[in-house]
Amino acid sequence: MIRFLLQLIGILILIPAVALGTLRFENRTADGPSVLFPGGELVSGELYSGPEPDWSFTDNISTIELQLNDSLSSRLIWVMESDGKIYIASGYMQSFLGRLWKHWAVQADQGDGLAVVRIDGVRYERQLIRINQGPELEGVAAKMTAKYRAPTTREAIESGSTWIFELAPRQG
Amino acid sequence: MKMANYLFLCVVIAVAVAVTVLYAPGVAETIESRLLVFLSTNAR
Repeated sequence: MIRFLLQLIGILILIPAVALGTLRFENRTADGPSVLFPGGELVSGELYSGPEPDWSFTDNISTIELQLNDSLSSRLIWVMESDGKIYIASGYMQSFLGRLWKHWAVQADQGDGLAVVRIDGVRYERQLIRINQGPELEGVAAKMTAKYRAPTTREAIESGSTWIFELAPRQG
Repeated sequence: MKMANYLFLCVVIAVAVAVTVLYAPGVAETIESRLLVFLSTNAR
């Protein structure tokens, strides 16, 4: 009887595990992420060229799609505008699980940081530059706290708990 | 159930679930939307 129950439990765990694994596998090459799973290369949408936009319109946007060039995977992420620049954040970076979960941030920090973001259907080629310290972090932390109700401080960022990247224009 | 039969059953179920998620219209969207509702209701 116990053996049967254990086998039944195994099957009940197997079904959702396979379903979620399949969904993640299916989405890995999609044109952008879903709400739950990372996607592939951002393909559709006009590629922006021109002067640096007024990023204040992102105050009304909850998440943007971020794709790193290395590796070609995309995810949804918060965006904060501060002093005419836009920033993204990656939290929980001082824990092993956090770094595993937010592996993209490690890749962006250690790699070339080349990325594409898609906002309102328009793609922007950017370069992720990690901001470790500096007075601009005050504004970013304040925006993150106000916009997302995710209390953050400059000190938390400078301690490495939360990583902040500027989505800077590409050089050259 | 003998272990060999059980493992065979697991493989059959796994393949059936994967094929259903991949090819049955609307299944993937339904699972994801229900999971999202669950997470948004329970996540803190």
